[in-house]
Amino acid sequence: MHVHTCLSPCSELEMHPAALVKAAVDAGLDAVAVCDHNSAENLAAAVRAGARSGLAVLPGMEVTSEEEVHILALLPDLEAAQVLQSKVYQNLPGTNDPNLFGMQVVANEDEEVLGFNEHLLSGATALSVEAVVAAIHKAGGLAVAAHVDRERFGLIGQLGLIPEGLPLDALEVSANAQLNVARTRFAPSGEYALLCSSDAHEPKDVGKAVTFMLLEEPNPAEVRKALAGAEGRAVLGGGRPMEDLALHILDIAQNGVEAGATLVEIGLNEDPLKDLLTIEVKDNGRGMNEETAARALDPFFTTRTTRKVGMGLPMLAAAARAAGGNFQLASEPGKGTALKASFQFSHIDRAPVGDLETTLLVLFAGHPDVEIRFKHAVCGEDYEVSTGDLRAALDGAVLASPEGLAFTREVVRRGEKALSEARAKALGGP
Amino acid sequence: MNVMQVAGLLQGVVAGGSPDPKQEVLGGYASDLLSDVMANAVEGDVWVTLQKHVNIVAVAKLKGLAAIVIVNGRTPEPDTLARAEAEGIPVVSTPLTAFEAVGILYGAGVKGRRAP
Repeated sequence: MHVHTCLSPCSELEMHPAALVKAAVDAGLDAVAVCDHNSAENLAAAVRAGARSGLAVLPGMEVTSEEEVHILALLPDLEAAQVLQSKVYQNLPGTNDPNLFGMQVVANEDEEVLGFNEHLLSGATALSVEAVVAAIHKAGGLAVAAHVDRERFGLIGQLGLIPEGLPLDALEVSANAQLNVARTRFAPSGEYALLCSSDAHEPKDVGKAVTFMLLEEPNPAEVRKALAGAEGRAVLGGGRPMEDLALHILDIAQNGVEAGATLVEIGLNEDPLKDLLTIEVKDNGRGMNEETAARALDPFFTTRTTRKVGMGLPMLAAAARAAGGNFQLASEPGKGTALKASFQFSHIDRAPVGDLETTLLVLFAGHPDVEIRFKHAVCGEDYEVSTGDLRAALDGAVLASPEGLAFTREVVRRGEKALSEARAKALGGP
Repeated sequence: MNVMQVAGLLQGVVAGGSPDPKQEVLGGYASDLLSDVMANAVEGDVWVTLQKHVNIVAVAKLKGLAAIVIVNGRTPEPDTLARAEAEGIPVVSTPLTAFEAVGILYGAGVKGRRAP
């Protein structure tokens, strides 16, 4: 929900609007919000480049307050972006020196440079955080405190705590944060919707962190509803697809669903005492023959049409081996696929588990017709959650409804809380 | 040294928060990152900053600081002064820069202290 273009002084020229869009499509994203520092001048080109590739580009801006707090504006349209930009420019002193702060390139969607922005976009406006949030709301946008986990330029780092009564629409965490940890710290009782963003300044970082939302289609009006939890739209969660094990699990389970599975069984077992973490995913989809199964571990092979590079299995295999573990894949045409990845629990390169709540909400809400069974065990303690159990407990309510999501969240949080106590005990913590 | 004497040395004014002449300034801290002040300032410190947002009062209250000095002649927000008054945190406004203000206070015997 937060990427930059070459207009941002700290971005590379290679991050022109068309390159950004290509990187986002390659990463399998449905939408990006383009939020350059204190300017909207590359938005129209990014929106046009997105339209050519079927990527929703949402207009945004990253505004710097007087206190050097970054606030994201998610805007309804390009006109609103112009309104906010005028207000920001009126309050933005200074002229850019490209040698010191970097070039601020205004480009079109055809990789042509149209000019250079003269404002000191890396500077701070003369507007307080309250005034920035008010200006964003006046322009019809949503105000999101950017990268609140970062000390520098984050709202909490700069101002110690979230100012009382500041009407924020959400908080964003950076690709350095694990969402489950961030949630405990910043929104333990669901005070704010949390968004995860790459804050990418170069193409390789696009998609490094993502947010999952339940929307009719990716557009600003739907995002507004999701942040407010209105009309059945919701922010389901987020994380780092290349890193968090939870998102690897999500990816593999979705492969199973795409392969026509009606049953997907997921097991995650953490055993710090045996120094072992294992992930098992089994589906009854159409399976693969030996040749295809072997090729599935090649990062440049995929049967998907939505993503150019199938990073799922090869990335997980590499992550397991990097952490002193191993990876097995068994598949039979017509029967299904089973995989097992093991990791040395205490290995310094073992990827973090990340946010399982996201994984389960996206799976349950996204594939209500598939029976998904998840079991998480830590040192002999465990909990299970499945489509069938949830449906029985919900007494007819739909899994993708607000009640369904709230109930699923509650089941997962309760289960995870009990396990985190078991984990702390096993590790000799408090 | 008390807060009125700090204001005098810095050619500043007490903009709000009615200081108690009997309260001694025990040390000093300078930072514009409020999370850093929360982590490292010590009770009784005078805090030198250019931030003027209302949250500075909350941080000073939390840490039991003796006073806030706002530098560069910046005018505190009205709600900052109202809050300072309500919480009893003296706010001094000085035309000096942070470097000059800290130098003068240090020369007058207000030293930095490490959080225990």
